[in-house]
Amino acid sequence: MVIIRHVAAALLVILGVSLAVFVLTHVIPGDPVEVMLGERASTADRAALAKAYGLDRPLTAQMVDYYQGLLKLDLGESLFQHRPVVELISERLAATVELAGAAMAVALVVALVLGLVSAWYARTWVDQGARVLSLLGVSIPNFWLGPLLILFGSVYLGWFPVSGRDGLSSLVLPAITLGTALAAIVARMLRNSLLEIAEADFVRTARAKGLGEWTILWRHSLRNALLPVVTLVGLQIGAILGGAVIVETVFSWPGIGRLTVEAIQSRDYPLVQGCVLLIATIYVLVNLLTDVVYGLIDPRIRLAGS
Amino acid sequence: MWSKIVCGGLLVVVAGLMVGGCDNYADVEETPVIRMGLVQAPSTLDPRYATDAVSNRVCRLLYRGLVDFDDQLRPTPDLASWQVLSPRHYRFTLNDSIPPFSDGRQLTSADVVATYESVLREDSISPHRSGLSVIDRIEQVDDATVDFFLARPDALFPGRLTLSILPATSAALPRLAPDQLIGNGAFKLVSWPAPEQVLLERRRDGQQVELLRVADATVRALKLIRGEIDLVQNDLPSELIGWLRDQPGVKVEQAAGSNYSYLGFNFDDPVSGDPLIREAIALAIDRQAIIDALLGGGARRAESVLPPDHWAGGRGIEPTEYDPQRAAELVAMFRERGGEPTLSYKVSTDALRLRIAAAIKQQLEAVGLTINIESHEWGTFYGDIKAGRFQLYSLAWVGIKMPDIFRYLFHSTAIPPEGANRGRFNAAQVDQLIAQAEGATMAEQGELYAQLQQQLADHRPYVSLWYENHTLVARRTLTGYPLSRDGNYDGLMVAQKMTMNSEGARRP
Repeated sequence: MVIIRHVAAALLVILGVSLAVFVLTHVIPGDPVEVMLGERASTADRAALAKAYGLDRPLTAQMVDYYQGLLKLDLGESLFQHRPVVELISERLAATVELAGAAMAVALVVALVLGLVSAWYARTWVDQGARVLSLLGVSIPNFWLGPLLILFGSVYLGWFPVSGRDGLSSLVLPAITLGTALAAIVARMLRNSLLEIAEADFVRTARAKGLGEWTILWRHSLRNALLPVVTLVGLQIGAILGGAVIVETVFSWPGIGRLTVEAIQSRDYPLVQGCVLLIATIYVLVNLLTDVVYGLIDPRIRLAGS
Repeated sequence: MWSKIVCGGLLVVVAGLMVGGCDNYADVEETPVIRMGLVQAPSTLDPRYATDAVSNRVCRLLYRGLVDFDDQLRPTPDLASWQVLSPRHYRFTLNDSIPPFSDGRQLTSADVVATYESVLREDSISPHRSGLSVIDRIEQVDDATVDFFLARPDALFPGRLTLSILPATSAALPRLAPDQLIGNGAFKLVSWPAPEQVLLERRRDGQQVELLRVADATVRALKLIRGEIDLVQNDLPSELIGWLRDQPGVKVEQAAGSNYSYLGFNFDDPVSGDPLIREAIALAIDRQAIIDALLGGGARRAESVLPPDHWAGGRGIEPTEYDPQRAAELVAMFRERGGEPTLSYKVSTDALRLRIAAAIKQQLEAVGLTINIESHEWGTFYGDIKAGRFQLYSLAWVGIKMPDIFRYLFHSTAIPPEGANRGRFNAAQVDQLIAQAEGATMAEQGELYAQLQQQLADHRPYVSLWYENHTLVARRTLTGYPLSRDGNYDGLMVAQKMTMNSEGARRP
């Protein structure tokens, strides 16, 4: 029942987003007809092209078409590439999933290590060092970190290609760039969460039973400390996808982020709508998944839900 | 249990990335392919629908048109030479030595007719249709001869026939798949595997050229240094060009260009429409200082839309010299008349254009003007400019070849959407000269357009800033790439790349 309620809410959000995207893409300044024909086209030619693409029809009529297509999972045809939007998105989706997944993996591993070490050596110079690293990770913008990593990783060390998507080696730098901010946030969250739990009764009991500090940390504290981390990671999926727009541009990574930017620049309405809708859907689904994972990590939530 | 599985999985992924990802890229593979970095990928390679500069430049490599332009931008025969049989009747005869299409078929006048008719069809959505609207009908005389009949006399007509010629079989199709993109240009299309990657082959010697989109300027520069691309033409900010000039293995070359940067005024506005203010602004801007400081010296000062080396360029126009004292006097006169010399200055979000706007603002404020810079995303900025919602703005005209641009920019009837007279400029003498020039022969037009440009320099609907140079930044292994004045990629037709042979010596 709880899951059905969550799914219904998610569908409502997606519907709202699709409506907002449709309206916004049509009201922002800029005209796809002008992008296609150039500024020097005659008024008659502009009118003819607008008619050919149905852009001269009332907004409500275009909206009805859009939703009818959406029900059939048909997002229309790109105005510029003359190919189905679904086809264009599916070509790019794998690249973005690959990048986001790798960034997430990098972020979580770094965050786990940094968070655990910070908590273990709490209030020492090690903790302070980790804090500085986290602060840097959050503060450095992707558009600066990316070229910096390229300069060292590619130009000076020669370990990775500068940009492009060509095998595992080309994934490393964009994944680090995209995952750095998330790693920093999660590391601080994990460290604080672990320190809070260190004062809990069950930890004191475990210690009284004679368990070693490392066993307590790894087997008892970490599991409980992960709960807020899972929430945070779920919420950060949106940030990862948003950050992918910049990282994909810097690293010439052929993903959804770049496709979205290109579509916005050319006012390719169907493609913009398709891309934004996809990103919103992923965001909503990940949040839904977060709720489910909550239940897996904390049995009390599962019980309360049922 | 779950935390162990998750942590273990994450560790495996990251270890895989680090171990498998670390490769030795210290020596980038020496490929004989010439790789060119582009800021933007071509949106289409069907010449009938190409509007953006990159698409047009790549199409130029794949196809040829009936007419091209010489150094002074006069129309000159390419595939065909022409005769003017009457002011409304032009005969084009295909040259004897035309290379065949890349699929081996010979280009004939039937292909010419089919290409032009596919653009001029009622249901055509080609952006080139408006520019060819002067054509009334086309007739094939024989395999090598085509007659064009015009709806009205047009002395500049040959210059309008630059459309790339497709085989008749391709021209019959509304859209072309990559394997149907067949031309008789210097290159043939090998593959177009992704929108941002195009592979071409030079027909003369089989040299392959890969065009790669690299959106970020810094990354383009770093790829050049690493040897992952061999050249970038323009598309790099001046500070990066200055840095690249000092890098080993990289060379920088520049050549004069014709892309015209200007400040535009709104004549309907009481401040920017006042001649005192326009004159003051023209005198207050130290163009050379901006060129030196922000463009790395890579531009020449402009006095008119067409450069002086254009056949119809404004050669006799007296240069506007930097005179802040006189500018301050003019602003003071405007104040004495009760005017408040405050202007909003609209500019796009491009970083270099913003820096230039900041420098101009500083110079204008030094003579007593108050300038508020408003920077907007391109769609909003451009929409405002076309709608006349501005006092002052800066933009550039790119790739202007024909003097009929003056009607489009300055005729009183050319208010958007009918033209690009965005400042609502209206001068009867200018309208008259435009009409007079259009009715004259090409020989007479040179003088009439020179007079027209002098008139425009007096009225100042624009303050001319500069023509930016074209810049080639390339690996030293790339040789023989000449820069063209309109920024096309024709240099790829002759460029050579030196690669290392087995003995470690460079060879072409």
